[in-house]
Amino acid sequence: MCRNGSDRMAALFSPPLYLQRYQFVIEYVKRFIPRKVIDLGCADCGLLRKLKFHRNAIEVLAGVDIDCAALRERVNALAPLTIDYLQPSPRPLTIELYQGSVTEREPCTQGFDLVTCMELIEHLQLWEVEGFSNVVFGYMNPCAVIISTPNVEFNPLLPGLRGFRNKDHKFEWTRAEFQTWALGVCMEYGYSVEFTGVGVAPGQNRDVGFCTQIAVFQRDAGVSNGPVNNAVQMEPTVYRLLYRVVYPSLCDNNIFQRTLVCQVLYRAESLKREFELGEQSMQSDLTACAHSLPPDVVAGSTVVYRHRSHVFVPLQHVWTDPKVQALCGNIHRLRQALMDDSRVQLDTDRDAIILPDEGEEEEDEEETGECEEGNLTPSPVIDNSEEDWETEIG
Amino acid sequence: MSILLEHTPINSKSRGTDSETEVISHFFYCINVNDFQVAVEREQELQSEEMDPNRPPVPPGAARMPWLPPAAGRGFMIDPPPLGRARGLALAAAEPETGRGRGRASAAASEPPVSPFGRGISLPVPEAQVGIARGMLPPVEQKGLGRARGSLFTSLEPQVGMGRGASLFMEPLAEPVPPVKSQMLQLPEAVPGFVEEKKTPEKTEVDIPDPGSSLVSMIRELGIEPSKSWGRGAAPMGRGSVGGLAAAHQSLVSSVGFSSVGAEEPFPEGMTLRGTSFVGRGMVGAGRAPVSPVGFSRGPIASPELPPGPITPPPVSVALAGPPPVPVETTVAPVKVEAAREPLKKAGTKGNSITIGANYIPIRCKNEAVFQYHVTFTPNVEALSMRFGMMKDHRSTTGEVVAFDGSILYLPKRLDEVVHLKAERKTDNQEIDIKIQMTKVLPPHCDLCIPFYNVVLRRVMKIVGLKLVGRDHYDPSNAIVLGKHRLQVWPGYSTCIKETDGGLYLGVDVSHKVLRNDSVLNIMGVIYQQSPEHFQDECTKEFVGAIVITRYNNRTYRIDDIKWSKSPKDSFTLADGSETTFIDYYRKNYGITVKEIDQPLLVHRPKERSKPGGKQIITGEILLLPELSFMTGIPEKMRKDFRAMKDLTVHINVSAEQHTHSIKQLLQNINSNPEALNELQRWGLEISPEILMTQGRTLPMETICLQSASFVSSSSADWSREVVRDASISSIPLYCWAVFYPRRAAEQAEELVTMFGKVAGPIGIKLERPIRVELRDDRTETYVKSIQSQLTSEPNVQLVVCIITGNRDDLYSAIKKLCCVQSPCPSQAINVRTISQPQKLRSIAQKILLQMNCKLGGELWTVSVPLKHLMVIGVDVHHDVSKKKRSVMGFVASLNSLLTRWYSRVTFQMPNEEIINGFRVCLLAALQKYYEMNHSFPEKIVIYRDGVSDGQLKTVEQYEIPQILKCFETFPNYEPKLTFIVVQKRISTTLYSYGGERFGTPPPGTVLDHTVTNKDWVDFFLMAHSIRQGCGLPTHYISVYNTANLTPDHLQRLTFKMCHLYWNWPGTIRVPAPCKYAHKLAFLSGQYLHSEPAIQLADKLYFL
Repeated sequence: MCRNGSDRMAALFSPPLYLQRYQFVIEYVKRFIPRKVIDLGCADCGLLRKLKFHRNAIEVLAGVDIDCAALRERVNALAPLTIDYLQPSPRPLTIELYQGSVTEREPCTQGFDLVTCMELIEHLQLWEVEGFSNVVFGYMNPCAVIISTPNVEFNPLLPGLRGFRNKDHKFEWTRAEFQTWALGVCMEYGYSVEFTGVGVAPGQNRDVGFCTQIAVFQRDAGVSNGPVNNAVQMEPTVYRLLYRVVYPSLCDNNIFQRTLVCQVLYRAESLKREFELGEQSMQSDLTACAHSLPPDVVAGSTVVYRHRSHVFVPLQHVWTDPKVQALCGNIHRLRQALMDDSRVQLDTDRDAIILPDEGEEEEDEEETGECEEGNLTPSPVIDNSEEDWETEIG
Repeated sequence: MSILLEHTPINSKSRGTDSETEVISHFFYCINVNDFQVAVEREQELQSEEMDPNRPPVPPGAARMPWLPPAAGRGFMIDPPPLGRARGLALAAAEPETGRGRGRASAAASEPPVSPFGRGISLPVPEAQVGIARGMLPPVEQKGLGRARGSLFTSLEPQVGMGRGASLFMEPLAEPVPPVKSQMLQLPEAVPGFVEEKKTPEKTEVDIPDPGSSLVSMIRELGIEPSKSWGRGAAPMGRGSVGGLAAAHQSLVSSVGFSSVGAEEPFPEGMTLRGTSFVGRGMVGAGRAPVSPVGFSRGPIASPELPPGPITPPPVSVALAGPPPVPVETTVAPVKVEAAREPLKKAGTKGNSITIGANYIPIRCKNEAVFQYHVTFTPNVEALSMRFGMMKDHRSTTGEVVAFDGSILYLPKRLDEVVHLKAERKTDNQEIDIKIQMTKVLPPHCDLCIPFYNVVLRRVMKIVGLKLVGRDHYDPSNAIVLGKHRLQVWPGYSTCIKETDGGLYLGVDVSHKVLRNDSVLNIMGVIYQQSPEHFQDECTKEFVGAIVITRYNNRTYRIDDIKWSKSPKDSFTLADGSETTFIDYYRKNYGITVKEIDQPLLVHRPKERSKPGGKQIITGEILLLPELSFMTGIPEKMRKDFRAMKDLTVHINVSAEQHTHSIKQLLQNINSNPEALNELQRWGLEISPEILMTQGRTLPMETICLQSASFVSSSSADWSREVVRDASISSIPLYCWAVFYPRRAAEQAEELVTMFGKVAGPIGIKLERPIRVELRDDRTETYVKSIQSQLTSEPNVQLVVCIITGNRDDLYSAIKKLCCVQSPCPSQAINVRTISQPQKLRSIAQKILLQMNCKLGGELWTVSVPLKHLMVIGVDVHHDVSKKKRSVMGFVASLNSLLTRWYSRVTFQMPNEEIINGFRVCLLAALQKYYEMNHSFPEKIVIYRDGVSDGQLKTVEQYEIPQILKCFETFPNYEPKLTFIVVQKRISTTLYSYGGERFGTPPPGTVLDHTVTNKDWVDFFLMAHSIRQGCGLPTHYISVYNTANLTPDHLQRLTFKMCHLYWNWPGTIRVPAPCKYAHKLAFLSGQYLHSEPAIQLADKLYFL
């Protein structure tokens, strides 16, 4: 929805106005680090797609629109990328899309840190605006709300525009009208507001204000409709959940464990390889006589060593890997995490990782077939000798 | 048109780089032209292996005719008119022969009348379908894919609409008979499809010619009303009028390029009585002519055969005038039956029947039709995006299921014939009238619809939770993590809806994607640590050619180059003309902070291709940041690491049981997901929950002949024991040979030579003690110098044996260059590791000895091929790594009747060079050599050509084969019979054996020649090799040309026999031996020699 007017304004603004609006929200998110963000009237999820990249600390990203088809259109763009699986993010992220009306109270929309509402209210009938305010500020009661709407004072500067910027607009406000409404909301629901906008008028027409006017509401400290929150836990949902995706993240224990074990094993394997290379060169130099030290000599040691057919890689060594450190924080946690994992074998002191020593036995696959001795069952003999394809061809 | 490039239609990684995501997400609401085009292209490629069940694969002979040698087929055409109707029946029936046989024309002639009769029964089916099939061809041709018959016309007018519209006329004929009926087990699921289809004819009447299509409208003027259900009978008339039309048209549409048709073949209305075969063809012509110039392509072809007499001046005025004096009634009746085209005869009979499954899932189309509309905007709206927007606003009328490219609209629902909608142009508030006019009713199986189905399929794959990577869908939630190797293997599927001889199928292949946990930058770091001095070279080696996936979107790119001079600090120009640095770009758009400021940039050069409409050619480079790019695919280093590969292949090489299980799992996921079902439902698709089960055959076992011993190959097709027990057919005594080895391998060298002595006797090889040359070190120069001086001082050295330590490509390459190019002498390189295990030394020595014997010109074993004066040729192409894009063709031809002597040649081509140029040289040389040896030329030549994608089949048929035939003219009075078989290894078809409720791998020699085969060609799937692990991957063989008249049985069995003759493997292999030899040769030349090997070696298998 928010992009509809952009044809006309494309020439006026660069980057296009809708992108400027997105950018505004992105900057806000960067500054205030909300964890849960909901976009009302998200249409084809343009803003959500942007926020997905500019997450900062966002953990829940929700979108609401009344138009189901519009929501579905680009829904796949919200799905995790391949890379999100390869390198799970340290923070969780859930994206949800709902079909529903912003004038209805939906329990799922409560508890957000930031509600954005870009170019939405002008699509409501004027009489619906109050209900909208009540839902957003009274019911959803987020910490912050960003609302944008066209500034009708700017319209004369838009070439060839008659009437509203979009056929579906039910009203377009002047700055005064917008501010009156916003201040009224603040009074009623305990918010404070700042006005700004995007889309600066060209030349000397600055006095008309921004093309898009934006109000940023902050909930007043201590004012929270907490009781309402608890009371509505039982309320039935009225929105329809269209899409929900949970991004892989290290907060998922399985993913964390898997990532850690991979990193640890990789590190351990490369240490083992280094060790083996060292061993080989020693052998060829014929200088080292005791490359396989008795375990009692090396127990608790910090060097990689071999015992029987296993190579022992001390955790201390593995710990030097910065990625492992980043994952675990301290070596005790590392030990703890590895202790119960079947993929990693620790020694009795839990100080070293035991890796099997895959010595020289290498099996050449191609040779395995030879093992089937005496498997020469005479197969049904078909005598080809009499054949003559020439006659068959004619 | 370079036919050098091997295309893998399905798996080609490099293609997966485009915006699949976009294509999919847009499709239903609007398809912007790009996406649409992409989708269509992709479909066409994807469909490559596919065929249509209901559509008997009879391709009209026309376009093929030019290469037919003067065969009996022509006789028909020259038949005098009087024969016309009386014989019409038989002739028309015979006609498909001409067309289909590509060269089977003569067969048509010699064929007893019985068969035409028999065919008559199934006649109705094919014809119409042919028309349709065509309809969709033009777009293909534009791309030069050459799938269409008429691809001679490379510059077809983009009057797709017209073509399609026209093809509909034939629709009424299209329906009924399930083509393969008689042959094999048909799945019950498939049948309803046919039944439903029968309804279509009535609907078809609505067909409204595209207003823009002059041809069609002219036909209407001629009185051929599409709405009339004129059945087959009308056909000849159509032909007549078309002829006239063509003539008339000649002056009008000169650009189309069929003027010659008009001139030489101006069939007036009465034309139907002309040469009998023309009755049949006329039929086709009618269906086809309106389709597009394609139809006309037969014109010029046929014309030479026409007696010049009957040519009547083009009745231009008449054609244009309107009411045509076409004698409709007279022609209607007789031709009716002739319309018949019957499925290509590709079924063999030899061997034992076996129940097999294939990774094909029957699909049912429940929709009665798909409707095509033409959308016009008045006043005109230029911007496509605006057109899409306007159509989008009318979803209430069109429904949610829309495929729209800006002017052509496809809906699964019927609108009124003409619908007018209103829209407002936002820029100037102009009211726009949108006229949606129905142009066509397509049967739901129609080729045109398949792209939409595939788009639907991709959506479905996403709905069931799979992620698109490259071109296939994978399941990250079941990723197999190989932490040790820092990679993940994602299981997934490569899917494609296609049409085969048996109907509409969903082809599912189980696929695995290897993704690496490290960014390119990480890997660069590792490389730097390992070899700081050769850092850039090593990076180039490691990364160029690799496929990366980026951090910020799901696209994959092939790295073509690395720009060391660039860094993320550099800036580039955005689409809007502004400049930005990479650092800023990623920060702004994706919130990504580039950490490493000093990294080079990776370069991806997209394949040049023009956007639809030819407006703009996409060129230039895409620069990527190593830090934000992640490698996919198996790391090169890992490939060489046997143990690491084992870790990986355990997961990738799935057994038949696992394969079918995965497929069934997918089917279940789809069929139990309401959203997915709903998505399919939109186009009326229903996917069967079961995989295709059918009957195949196992070909008879072959008798392997050694010098005197012979035995029937075992069921595992393995005769490794037998070949070392008895004497080979012929052995070259080794009097003078040299072994080169570094000092530290002296012991192994000695043991090997001793072992050679022990095992040589039974094989029949006479072996003298070798000249032993101990090298002071194992440097490459040391080897080269020693070998060189040895060869100079002892010119009689028959064989050079080098024992080398480690995997050293450079050394191997140097030795081979020396021994294959500079001082030609057969050579054998042996890795010391392979001879270091005493318990295996015996069998290793036997193998090496056999290999050496081959290299010297010995002959190991053969099978009997009951064809006389036969030459079998194998051709394969390898892409040279060193010289960019240069490719190497390996050519191997048999020289004797035992098929034990081979002549080989190599040619190098630049990308735009035609393979055929080199091929001609090779072929002539081989023929001369054959003559030297046999004092006669071969009467039959069978060519196995590897590395041809489906899209290139037409090129091969229309371009390569005529050139080959021309080649024979070099020799006086020489007209050998030619069979040209395309060999496709990289296909997605998998076969399973089925018994005791379990899926397994089919035994060697399993052949499947129906149901999943290509409707346009005589083809079959043959699994010649025995499978130890993994799945039954057959090889696809397509007989593109066959004047040798080999029957399907012959083709199949000859091919199977040829799979027995690869002497490096005492068993059957996946491809015919000459192909494998050609492959080996091309690989050696391209990978190591980088130049043509010495001609002196050409009659030995020195490249083994």
